Amino acid sequence: MSLSPVEGVALAEIESGGDEGGAATKGVVGRSPGQLAWLRLRRDRTAVVSGVLLVFFLLLGLAAPLIEMVYGIGPREQFQNMLDGFGMPLGYAGGVSGEHWFGLEPGLGRDIFIRLIYGLRTSLFIAFAAALITATIGIVLGALAGYLGGWLDAVINWITDLTLAMPFLIIALALTPTITLRFYGERGQVSSAFGVGVLIAVFAIFGWTSTARLVRGQVIALREREFVEAARASGAGLGHMLFRQLLPNIWAPILVSFSLAVPQFITSEAALSFIGVGLSDETPSFGRMIYRSLDFLQTDPAYVFFPGITIFALVFAFNLFGDALRDALDPKSSR
Amino acid sequence: MRPRVAVAAGGAIALVVALGACSKNTGEGTTVDTERQQTGVIATDPKDSQGPAAEVSGAAKGGTFTIIRESPISHLDPQRTYSFAGLMANPLFARYLTTWKDDGKGGLVLVGDLAETPGKNVNNDCKVWEFTVKDGVKFEDGRPITSKEIAYGIARSFDPDLSGGPTYIQEWLADTAQFDTKWDFKKNKTSLPPGLSTPDAKTLRFEFAKPRCDLPFAVSLPTTAPLPADKDTGVDLDKQPFSSGPYKVAKNQVGVQITLDRNTNWDPKTDPVRHQYPDQFVWSFGPTADAANNRVIADNGADQSALAFNTVPASLVAKVAGDATLKSRSILSPTPSANQLVINNQRVTDLKVRQALNYAIDREGFIKAMGGQTVAAPLTTLMPPATIGYKAYDAYPAGANGNVDKAKELLGGKTPELVLGVADNSTEQQQGAQLKANLERAGFKITLRNISDDAKLDEIKKKNNPWDLYIGNWAADWPSGASILPVLYDGRTIKAEGNSNQAYFNDPAINTEMDRISALSAAEQGPEWAKLDERIMKEHAPVVPLFVDVAYNVHGSKAGGIFISSVFGYPSFVNAHVKP
Amino acid sequence: MARFLLKRLFSATLTLFAVSVLTFLMFFALPRDPVSSICSKNCNPERLERVRDDLGLNDPLISQYAGYMKGIVTGRDLGSAQGGRCDAPCLGWSYVTNEAVSDTIARVLPVTLSIVIPAAILWLLLGVGLGMVSALRRGTWLDRLAIGFSLTGASLQLYFVGAVLLLVFVYNLRLLPVPSYTSIFDNPAKWASGLVLAWVALAFLFSAIYARLSRAQMLETLSEDFVRTARAKGLAKPKVYGRHALRAAITPVVTIAGLDVGGALGGTVITETTFGIQGLGRTAVDAVRSGDLPTIMATVLIAAVFVVLANVLVDLLYAAIDPRVRLR
Repeated sequence: MSLSPVEGVALAEIESGGDEGGAATKGVVGRSPGQLAWLRLRRDRTAVVSGVLLVFFLLLGLAAPLIEMVYGIGPREQFQNMLDGFGMPLGYAGGVSGEHWFGLEPGLGRDIFIRLIYGLRTSLFIAFAAALITATIGIVLGALAGYLGGWLDAVINWITDLTLAMPFLIIALALTPTITLRFYGERGQVSSAFGVGVLIAVFAIFGWTSTARLVRGQVIALREREFVEAARASGAGLGHMLFRQLLPNIWAPILVSFSLAVPQFITSEAALSFIGVGLSDETPSFGRMIYRSLDFLQTDPAYVFFPGITIFALVFAFNLFGDALRDALDPKSSR
Repeated sequence: MRPRVAVAAGGAIALVVALGACSKNTGEGTTVDTERQQTGVIATDPKDSQGPAAEVSGAAKGGTFTIIRESPISHLDPQRTYSFAGLMANPLFARYLTTWKDDGKGGLVLVGDLAETPGKNVNNDCKVWEFTVKDGVKFEDGRPITSKEIAYGIARSFDPDLSGGPTYIQEWLADTAQFDTKWDFKKNKTSLPPGLSTPDAKTLRFEFAKPRCDLPFAVSLPTTAPLPADKDTGVDLDKQPFSSGPYKVAKNQVGVQITLDRNTNWDPKTDPVRHQYPDQFVWSFGPTADAANNRVIADNGADQSALAFNTVPASLVAKVAGDATLKSRSILSPTPSANQLVINNQRVTDLKVRQALNYAIDREGFIKAMGGQTVAAPLTTLMPPATIGYKAYDAYPAGANGNVDKAKELLGGKTPELVLGVADNSTEQQQGAQLKANLERAGFKITLRNISDDAKLDEIKKKNNPWDLYIGNWAADWPSGASILPVLYDGRTIKAEGNSNQAYFNDPAINTEMDRISALSAAEQGPEWAKLDERIMKEHAPVVPLFVDVAYNVHGSKAGGIFISSVFGYPSFVNAHVKP
Repeated sequence: MARFLLKRLFSATLTLFAVSVLTFLMFFALPRDPVSSICSKNCNPERLERVRDDLGLNDPLISQYAGYMKGIVTGRDLGSAQGGRCDAPCLGWSYVTNEAVSDTIARVLPVTLSIVIPAAILWLLLGVGLGMVSALRRGTWLDRLAIGFSLTGASLQLYFVGAVLLLVFVYNLRLLPVPSYTSIFDNPAKWASGLVLAWVALAFLFSAIYARLSRAQMLETLSEDFVRTARAKGLAKPKVYGRHALRAAITPVVTIAGLDVGGALGGTVITETTFGIQGLGRTAVDAVRSGDLPTIMATVLIAAVFVVLANVLVDLLYAAIDPRVRLR
């Protein structure tokens, strides 16, 4: 288990297809590579199914407060009167009923369904935000290093190495309480948003390396191309070179790496909860739910089943979609 | 095709996980009786202190008894032992001046261990005490144990390098909390601390500046384990303690496993409590509480004669309690470890608010959140039922689920805003969530603040800690009110950090009363402490008593003789044996 | 070559130095007082203060750091409370576990090695094997099965798989003993049976990545000119695939494997926690929780050494495997 939240895999997979991003540009006349990819994606049944599933999950997360209104139960409400003397839910399959669709948590008796919905919201938000930020940092640093080269390249490379060498889980474990203390003093109510923010920040600090390496490699490959040299000769500024000339030609692998990074962050949030870092119990999140429920594998399997299957379906859908996206963007490897 | 794979994979997981989810839980058969009466006395008849200990019925010699525990024992060196695991392991290889004869059902008699009797109060003023060492007591190398080695053991506990153990005797002898500056062990290795003397090889004499009526109890702690000066290896004694008990450390793989073999120089005739049934004891560290319990429940091979030292986790309780075959393999017993919702009295100065908290508390719900009655039993008193002289009462009767209306009435429409500090471990997170919901129903406004798990205890021990409420725990070192109430509620002891009085409660009248009771003889103190307990709660409500821990341990089918120590609330090994 | 190696080693040393400084600083930002774990139930402020002095916690940060570094290089005297003289490489004394940190490391490092190395071999074999098969049998049911398997693995979490494996194989079927570590030199059979679940779980999850990666690589290499040329020249299929294609395809696999193994050697926190085995990872987590600076420093540094070494090694291997790469 790598200690870095995003393993360098996406990077290597995509790097291998290095020049293909550029190759596609030279492709069929009349259609932009984006249109082509979109067409291919729409024709891929897997992509459509997983895409629909992802949209469904996204909508569920977005509509959480709405669902709470219709469902009539909040994520923090406790139904302890529906638990037995050991704190286990009464009734069938962990207290599944018309009122509590997925049953109740042992101990506190909170409704699992509504907590899952809110957990989905939290986890998706964290994962998307972290993926966006890491992609941005990675693109900027990678492009600068790749394009300018020289000492800047060396420095950025070294920082990348350093970041990789710092054990992520350990640092996260040490930093999270410290940051909280700095911001809220010892008595303030820590808002859920803050906990989420800290997690995103931690991911951002450690997650950008693979994108940076990917972009750097791509930019180096493009640097000596004619069209780049032409633009340079005509006196284009740094900004223009990076954002107008280089990046439009490497967006495909970046997109793929982004789509594969999101599920990585979802599972990383869960992994952090597992060693006791992350959100407090008040904020419903996938990580905490899974972590808590695993203990009950033998005594309340339904409690493990519902969050377990949801997180699996979500991550699986992301992976399927990411795969399909790569196929669509890289015609050579498509089946 | 890929969606089909997804369905198949999902289905497989569903199958594994959903097995057994189809039976209905009706909540029947989930009541556990955890009531029991505690009696405790100091032996007056010297015969009580003589060996050998009565045979345990059904016990046979031989076999290896394994104890599985998640984390290693922090110290084996008796002078540095204070953790519960250490206190339970020590009697296997260390003997003390006095020890508890414990029937495992709350019946306790304090008897002489190395000493012939549990101490002689020479002038009946508790200032001078004498102990006479038994004949025939020996170290693992066959040397006789004399008062010199016991005194040396106590002397080395003054060494700041060897910190970690109890400090009662040191502080009483030096008459100051700064005992290690008053008498420097390293500079005076051949002499003895002030007030400690060995008039002859059989006699050990303590002289104190103030009455110390609890001394017979205090010397039942491992501080009084003997050690010959030439066997003192300093900090390394932790790896290889020098045995005076029925077993000796044969092999110690630090942090992994400790193997104890029989000590042939231990004479059962001198020992009133210990036995020497198994050939070997093995302490094995590493598996989580879950893993250890699952292992013992599975009852495979060597685990048949094993005990999971960690109690059954809340998540497994339903399985163990629901399985009739496990009934004979589990021990369930309340412990003397009392837990309170501690109110920071420096911050919450309004008595009505503290009383309202007491009325509002939903102990049943709180205990459910922890895993139910096999994990905790409700408590309404300051001292746990396992205290000598204990008397049950409820100063704020509100039923098992609390009385929200009564609390609101006391608050008179106000909504006090209180900050509840909780450790970020999963247990306290659950407790915190439950308390918040519970107290907010009664009109409080509760802010939960997480405190790093390992830091929590140190933080709430600081006088100026910023929280209004926190969950506190006290497990007394001996079952007397003297080791509970003055420690927790004597306001004169409050200092900048390292406080046991975490409620920061200080009332001059109560302080005076404590002084009065402390000067009584140990036998007279019991009922007086019980009265004071009730008075503090009625007049001041400095905390909300919550629960006592319940010990719920499972052992293998061949492990026998395990009982929960009435003093410490953890499994005791003096009667342990392996069934053939 | 030598110049490249020198340059890499210099940069690696610099990285390790930065890691040590950062870790040291971070620890002191922790809202945690390590001293109180020494002093038990009956502590008083004066005593705490003296312990702090004894441990040098009141010294300026720089001199504490210098002391630590000096210990690693030349060894130092830690005082009687900390086991006295500590020989180089002295990693300090843990006042939480009461032993020399080098002893702790010597105990837990073999555990992590025993988990990671066999697991890595397993996941590489499984992953690359699956990837090759599905690339060569592209589009068949075998390909789909392999991809489905790998995607499932990539979407599952170790603690989940671990918990289910434990429940099924250990507690219910009782086919395997409860995971534990025995030295391979003491009892190889026990060593393997105690760790096999961890290997399997790790291999299942990790092989997914390698299967996808090597499949993609293989497909691409197969379409490259030199392979086509080799085929056209009439070389036998197995020879072409085995010698030429595999060789080129394996390069990125080596990169990732190097980084993964390097990272994993620094501690497989989740694996160790799930299976209840005390390795480097769990030791590090425990150390952070209890504010045990010497142990944190040691575990973080060792983890960093592995990552950095893996990086250098990968670069070297790169050159060895793929003749197209020349070291700059």
